[in-house]
Amino acid sequence: MSNADKHQSRDPIVEEEICLTLTELCHACSASEEFVIAWVFEGLLEPIGEAPEDWRFTGQSLYRARLAWSLTRDLEVNPPGVALALDLLDKISALEAQLHRVGVR
Amino acid sequence: MKFKDYYETFGVPRNATQDEIKHAYRKLARKYHPDVSKDPDAEARFKELGEAYAVLKDPEKRAAYDQMGSQWKAGQEFQPPPDWDAGFEFSGSDSGSGDGTDHSDFFEALFGRQARGTQRPGMHARGQDHHAKVLIDLEDAYFGVKRSISLRVPTLDAQGHVAMREHRIDVNIPKGIRAGQHLRLAGQGMPGLGEGSAGDLYLEIDFNPHRQFRVDGRDVYLDVPLAPWEAALGCSLDVPLPDGPVQLAVPAKSAAGRQLRLKSKGIPGNPPGDLYVVLGIALPPANTDSEKDAYRAMAKAFNFDARAHMKGNPS
Repeated sequence: MSNADKHQSRDPIVEEEICLTLTELCHACSASEEFVIAWVFEGLLEPIGEAPEDWRFTGQSLYRARLAWSLTRDLEVNPPGVALALDLLDKISALEAQLHRVGVR
Repeated sequence: MKFKDYYETFGVPRNATQDEIKHAYRKLARKYHPDVSKDPDAEARFKELGEAYAVLKDPEKRAAYDQMGSQWKAGQEFQPPPDWDAGFEFSGSDSGSGDGTDHSDFFEALFGRQARGTQRPGMHARGQDHHAKVLIDLEDAYFGVKRSISLRVPTLDAQGHVAMREHRIDVNIPKGIRAGQHLRLAGQGMPGLGEGSAGDLYLEIDFNPHRQFRVDGRDVYLDVPLAPWEAALGCSLDVPLPDGPVQLAVPAKSAAGRQLRLKSKGIPGNPPGDLYVVLGIALPPANTDSEKDAYRAMAKAFNFDARAHMKGNPS
């Protein structure tokens, strides 16, 4: 740890060190608030906090939101469809990781 | 510049209806979407689809494109005829399904000019965030690494034309980073408009495929083959790990597939990952007479039936 701290500009690892507000998340994934709120409603993103203005998203949700936005924009998938697609993609990567562990590339 | 046949991209005839084009686009877009497809060409194919669709879905652009005639073939040398677009008005409201900054020269020559808005004076906005991917070696995750990366960034010149500019940055990739994680470089994204601040740059980290190690999150796997007698009697081995060799004691009676866990020898961090040595058994070939004799002696010494589990259970 101390080694890394010596660099003057240590860039944060998004998944471990970053927390975003609704506005910051929208800017980072280029989706509108309307979509992000719909995705939260679908359970695709799970922020901490009650009202949208108090929501805090983890770095992990940034990449889910980006993926959600690219499916929305490119394939015109609606929020329930995006939520389903992300669930299935998660399942596929879990299965791929399992194959990978036993040595299938 | 090469001519692009946008109808061929979708595999539809030139007289296809807007619905047929939409249908073909949707089908191919799902197939080649880079977030869904495993096809190595997915990204390039998807870009082509987006570009072709940007033209054919817009009746105005499609009519202008059609007007160039059907004698052109994909890949043929092409220059747009003078005043080819006279009488058409491209609104430029939507230059593509993607971010619209990365179309082919062909597209730019035909539709690019009006597609860019010039900067309105007095307008301030934060610059866009940028996303890019960086490949590192597994070893780099054990020690950290300094990388100089070069990105192509579109910038507007004084006339409002888009030019691609090289942007180099030095990045310290910290020890303990895992595949799929991202670094945020504040202020290294697109410049802001007016007095708006610059966007951020996000770098996704991925590992180059490794000859020996497999990685799963923080854990690392290494296949180690043994001779049958090493597996049966046990042995001590030098195993090369990403951060240097270690001595490993293989217990007697080890079967193929047995995993030996080297605690905290995976990717460093809090908590660190583990390294799993996966044992395999390599059969020595019996070529010479003495080698064959050795196998015969084994056959005699062992009361061993490799297919015992297949017997006595006909169902």
